[in-house]
Amino acid sequence: MEIAYYRGCSLHASSNLYDIQIKAVFGRLGLELKEIEDWNCCGATSAAKTDEFLAVALPARNLGIADASGLPEIVIPCSSCYSRLLVSQKKLAEDPALHETINAQLEKKVLGKIKVSSILEVLVPEVQAEGFAGMASKKLDGLKPACYYGCLLTRFPGNVKVPDNVENPQGIETVCRAVGAQPLDWSYKTDCCGAAAVINNTGTSLQLMSRIMKDAIARGANCFVTTCPMCQFNLDAYQDQVGEKYGIKERLPIYFLTELLGIAMGISPELLQLDRHFTDALGLLKELKLL
Amino acid sequence: MSFPIVEFDPEVSQSLLHEVMEQSGQNLQACYQCRRCAAGCPVGEETGVSPDRLIRMILLGEKEEVLNNQLVWKCLACYTCGTRCPNGIQTAKITETLKQMCKQAGLAPAAPKIDAFHHSFMSATSHFGRFNELEFMGLYEMENTREAIKRGDWKAIAKEMKDQAKLGLTMIKKKRMHMGLEKVKKMSEVKGLYNKAKARSKDR
Repeated sequence: MEIAYYRGCSLHASSNLYDIQIKAVFGRLGLELKEIEDWNCCGATSAAKTDEFLAVALPARNLGIADASGLPEIVIPCSSCYSRLLVSQKKLAEDPALHETINAQLEKKVLGKIKVSSILEVLVPEVQAEGFAGMASKKLDGLKPACYYGCLLTRFPGNVKVPDNVENPQGIETVCRAVGAQPLDWSYKTDCCGAAAVINNTGTSLQLMSRIMKDAIARGANCFVTTCPMCQFNLDAYQDQVGEKYGIKERLPIYFLTELLGIAMGISPELLQLDRHFTDALGLLKELKLL
Repeated sequence: MSFPIVEFDPEVSQSLLHEVMEQSGQNLQACYQCRRCAAGCPVGEETGVSPDRLIRMILLGEKEEVLNNQLVWKCLACYTCGTRCPNGIQTAKITETLKQMCKQAGLAPAAPKIDAFHHSFMSATSHFGRFNELEFMGLYEMENTREAIKRGDWKAIAKEMKDQAKLGLTMIKKKRMHMGLEKVKKMSEVKGLYNKAKARSKDR
């Protein structure tokens, strides 16, 4: 089956390992990703904070290109891109005047037809389908992840229908269980890590991450799993700083969900590029004899 | 003898309230101060202004405090307040509006680094249509340093350079630094959207 794909800027740059993993895992599932052509940055949080028009118009250009692909569904793995495109689509459906103004600027018009999906909306039904067990033969026994969603997968700046529980989502847990991992119940799964604030307001972001780390450790987690490239980057790259500042000795790997799926499917850690984590991601898997 | 506890001028408060309501699309009058937003706000404690207090300040017409407080800038747009509000008030939309009002009024931002971040982000994406991390960091640090020089804050400049150099080196070591330049082919279309945005904000 073909699905349109918007990978966005992060998956083209510092988190391009996530892009590689997504392609490998989706390939095994028989899903062919068609990257939309000549896409642009969605504007992320900065557009929303500086210009209301651009916050809708920048994602809209991508929606128009995606609609023109004729495919029924587009998967957007980055939580921020996903949120921005989904909210833009909704806003245009509600505001015909704005829809017309923006379409007048675009070569490929927004039709509002394509279904905008997060990576979980695609993966959850896949792991629940018959035959998945045969594709993922390695059971990730001993892996106890704190499943971390962050903000933008379930909370939106508008009235958007959420495909999971807002306060206690279960999508990542469902995928983890399907590959034999034992996800834990914990309190900070939808708390904010600070995202870009780690650059412009570092102290706040480190404090937020310390709370997330402390709760996960207190619950007995031996790793985090996330689908958001910003959450992954922050907890991964800044973990030492958080630990030093807040007296946390433990260091936990921050896995992308596609890494767990990939390992369960027997995809090599080299192909998944697990060596590109800031906080060691290979040690735990070796210790649990999963590699 | 009596002292006023709250100074309240209905005319001032009404004009501020309606301006914020119109621009943010949020019905602030529906707030009954239950503080569910305050309980979930990740920066309310630190900034000393939780979403409910910000709304109250607007209702009371305290324009100066409304446009000059840390929450307006430090709001992370996590949307916890709006998701939990029983009356559907999205305070993150209010802080967005207030940031823009602060700029329009020509006031200095209460958190200059955050302002520099968003400004540099938008300017980076307007150049090539895509966000290039290295280009962005260059723009952001330039803007940041310029502001710090104006304040004569050399310590902040040294710390910033040390922190970012450390992160940059680790990123290179972990092959997380992307050197190539990403750009949109049809840049005229993206530029058109930016121009349209500029024209619209002038009309306002």
